[in-house]
Amino acid sequence: MPMTKVMEGNEAAAYGVKLSRVEVIAAYPITPQTELISTLASMIARGELKAEYIKVEGEHTALAATAAASAAGARAFTASAAQGIVYMEESIWMPPGMRLPVVMCIVNRAIAPLGGLRPDHNDSLLQRDTGWIQIYCENGQEVLDTIIQAYRIGEDKRVYLPVAPCYEGYVVSATATPVEIPDQEEVDDFLPPYKHEMYSLYPENPRSPPRLMRSIAEARYEVQQAMERAKKVIEEVDREYGERFGRYYDGMVEQYRCEDAEAVMVTMGSITGTARDVVDELRAEGKKIGLVKLRVFRPFPTEEIQEIGKRVRAIGFVDRNTSYGAVAGCGIGCIETARALYPLDEHPLLLNYFVGLGGSDVTIPQLRHIAKRILKAAETGKPVKDVEWVELEKLEE
Amino acid sequence: MSLVEKFEEHYKEKLVRPGNGCCPGCGGSLAWRMLLEALGKNTVLYGGAPCAGCAMRVIKLPRFGFHFSFVGDGASGIAAAFKVKGREDITVFSSAGDGGVGDISFGKVSACAERNDNFIQCCIDNEAYMNTGIQKSGLTPYGAWTTTTPTGKKSKKKMIPMILAQHRIPYLATLSIAYPQDLMKKVRKAKEIRGFRYLHLVMPCPTGWRFPASKTVEVARLAVQTWIWPLYEVEKGILRLTMKPKQRPVEDYLRLQGRFRHLTEDEIAEIQRSVDEEKERLLERDGKNIWL
Ligand SMILES: Cc1ncc(C[n+]2csc(CCOP(=O)(O)OP(=O)(O)O)c2C)c(N)n1
Ligand code: SF4
Repeated sequence: MPMTKVMEGNEAAAYGVKLSRVEVIAAYPITPQTELISTLASMIARGELKAEYIKVEGEHTALAATAAASAAGARAFTASAAQGIVYMEESIWMPPGMRLPVVMCIVNRAIAPLGGLRPDHNDSLLQRDTGWIQIYCENGQEVLDTIIQAYRIGEDKRVYLPVAPCYEGYVVSATATPVEIPDQEEVDDFLPPYKHEMYSLYPENPRSPPRLMRSIAEARYEVQQAMERAKKVIEEVDREYGERFGRYYDGMVEQYRCEDAEAVMVTMGSITGTARDVVDELRAEGKKIGLVKLRVFRPFPTEEIQEIGKRVRAIGFVDRNTSYGAVAGCGIGCIETARALYPLDEHPLLLNYFVGLGGSDVTIPQLRHIAKRILKAAETGKPVKDVEWVELEKLEE
Repeated sequence: MSLVEKFEEHYKEKLVRPGNGCCPGCGGSLAWRMLLEALGKNTVLYGGAPCAGCAMRVIKLPRFGFHFSFVGDGASGIAAAFKVKGREDITVFSSAGDGGVGDISFGKVSACAERNDNFIQCCIDNEAYMNTGIQKSGLTPYGAWTTTTPTGKKSKKKMIPMILAQHRIPYLATLSIAYPQDLMKKVRKAKEIRGFRYLHLVMPCPTGWRFPASKTVEVARLAVQTWIWPLYEVEKGILRLTMKPKQRPVEDYLRLQGRFRHLTEDEIAEIQRSVDEEKERLLERDGKNIWL
C-alpha cells in the first residue's frame, strides 16, 4: 500500500531516488541540496538503499563519476545547485553527447554574486543548450514522481539523454507537505532495471557508441532528434504513471482554466501554486484569465505554446531568471516563447515579467499585478509595458 | 609461415593492433605494450595519454574517457558500478599525462587517493603538455626548454609520487620503459592489491625533448642511471628502491636532449648537486617507512 508522509522536498527527492533503485551516487554538498544527499547517505547506512555513494571532492567530479558509472551499467544519480552547477559546467556537456541517461536534481538557487542561498532559475536554465531534458517541479510530490519518471524517460532507447528534475531551494526543498510514497513493487513494475544498448565496459563483451565513425554534425543531429522524440516519451511516461499511481502532470505543459481564457500567465516551478490561487480569485471576479505551467523546458513545448497562442489575446511569461543584454531585454522563457509564436498568422501580445530574482519571495500581490496587466493588454490590445521588473514596479491593486 | 602471417599471428595474441598515431620513437607505444602485457585481458581502461591517446586507439580492451581534465573521476564511477554489479574481478586502469595528473586534475587524483577508490591510476609523464605543442607543466624538470619556458624552466619538478605516498595509499611505484621486467613486476603487483594504487611512468618524448627518435630507450635508461628518475615502490609506507644503478653524471642525460641545450656548466653542476642530495635522501630511507 502506498503510504503518505509529511516531508520536505529534499526528502521526497531522496524517496524518488530510493524507489528508482539507484546504484551509484556521486555528489558534493551545497545548500539547498544538502538534505537530499544526507538523507540518501542515511538510507544507504540503514541498508534501505543498496547503492555506492562516492563522496567526491567537487561537482566537476560528481557528474563525471556519475556519468562513468552510467556507462559502466549502473543507474546513477547526482544533485547540485547554483555554484555547483556552474562549477561542473564542463562535465554537464558529457552525458548528452555520450547519450548517458543519468539523472541530476537541480535544487535551484541563485548564482553569486547577485544571489544568496535562495532560488531563481538561472542555474538550470543556463544549461538549456547542453542537451539535458529539464522538468520543473512544483512541490515535493511532483519531485518524487518526476525522479522516477526521469529514469524511465532518459533510459528509453528512443531518448538516451540525461534528465534534470529541477525544483526551487527552500520553497520546495525545505517546505514540508504530505507526499504519497508509492509501493516499491509497483515502481519496479513501472521502471525496469537499467540496461544501455550502446554501452558495455565488461571486457568479455565490450560495446561503445561508434562515435568516430560518424560526422559530428550527424551525432549532434541525433541528440536533437532524441530531444524531439523525448516529447512523445515524456507524455507517454507521464500518462502511464498517472494510470498506475493516480498522478498525471499533463505531460509537457499543464493548462489551468485556459479553455475560454483571453489572457494567460506562463509560470515554471513553485510559482505555479501561488499563481493558481490568483487565477481562481480573478476568475471569481469573472476575468478570463488562465494559467500555463511550463513543466518541461527542454525539449521546449513548441506545439503546445502555439496551440495556446492561437486561442488567446495576450500571453505573459513570468521569468525567474535574467539574460543580461538579451533581445528586447527579455528573460529566457519569454524569448523561447516568442519564437514558438512567430510562425502563427496572428500573434497574441507577448509580455514579460521578471520576478523572484536572487530568491526574493514571489507574492500574491505581484502575481495579481501581472495577471491584471496581461488582462488589460488583452482588453486594450496595448500593453502598459512589454517587459517589467515587477519588484521595481508600483503594483496594480 | 610468411613474415606477414607471423606478424598477424603475433598480434592475435596481443591486446593491441599493429601501428599507431604517435610520432616516430614515442615512448608511448612501448609503455602501453608493457602495461597491457602485465594488466591482461580482464581490464577496462579509463582516460588517455600520451598526447590524447595516440598509442591507445589500437588497444582492444574496453575503454572509456571524457577529456584531458577528467583524471581518475570516471574510474571512481566505473569502480563503484563494478562493485554494485559484483564485478570487482575486473581491473580498472586509469591513465593520464603529467598535465592531467599533476596540474589540472591534481585535486581529483588526490581525492581518489584519499577515498582509496579501487583502481590503478597511472601517470604517463612526458614532462610537458605535449598534445597542445610542448608547454611547461608542473612536472617539467628544472632547466627544460618548452614553448612557454623559452629560456628554461626556473622551478623544479613536482614530486607527485611522494605527495601521493603521503595520502597513505596501499601501493605506488615509479616505472621506466627502459626496465621492462621491473615495470611489469610492479604492474602485476599493483593489480593484486585492492584500493587506490598509483604508478608513475616517465616516458621520453623525442618531439618535445628534442632528441633523435632512435634514442628513446637510451634516454629512458640514462634517466634511471643518473638517478634523475629513480625506480622505487612504496608499499604500505615502506620505501624500496628497486634499482640502484651505478651513478652516471647527469650531463650524459642532459646533453642528449635539445631541451637542455642552453644549460651552462654551472646550471648542470647545480642539477648534479640536487640529484646527488636526493639520491642520498632516498638511500637513507630505503627499506624504511616514509609516511610522515
Ligand atoms: C579544460 C581544458 N583546458 C585546456 C585544454 C587544452 N589541452 C589539451 S591536452 C592539454 C595538455 C595535456 O598535457 P598532458 O596531460 O601532460 O598530456 P600529454 O599531451 O603531454 O600526453 C591541454 C592543456 C583542454 N583540453 N581542456
Ligand atoms: S609529442 Fe611526444 S608524447 Fe606526443 S606522440 Fe610525439 S613523441 Fe609521443
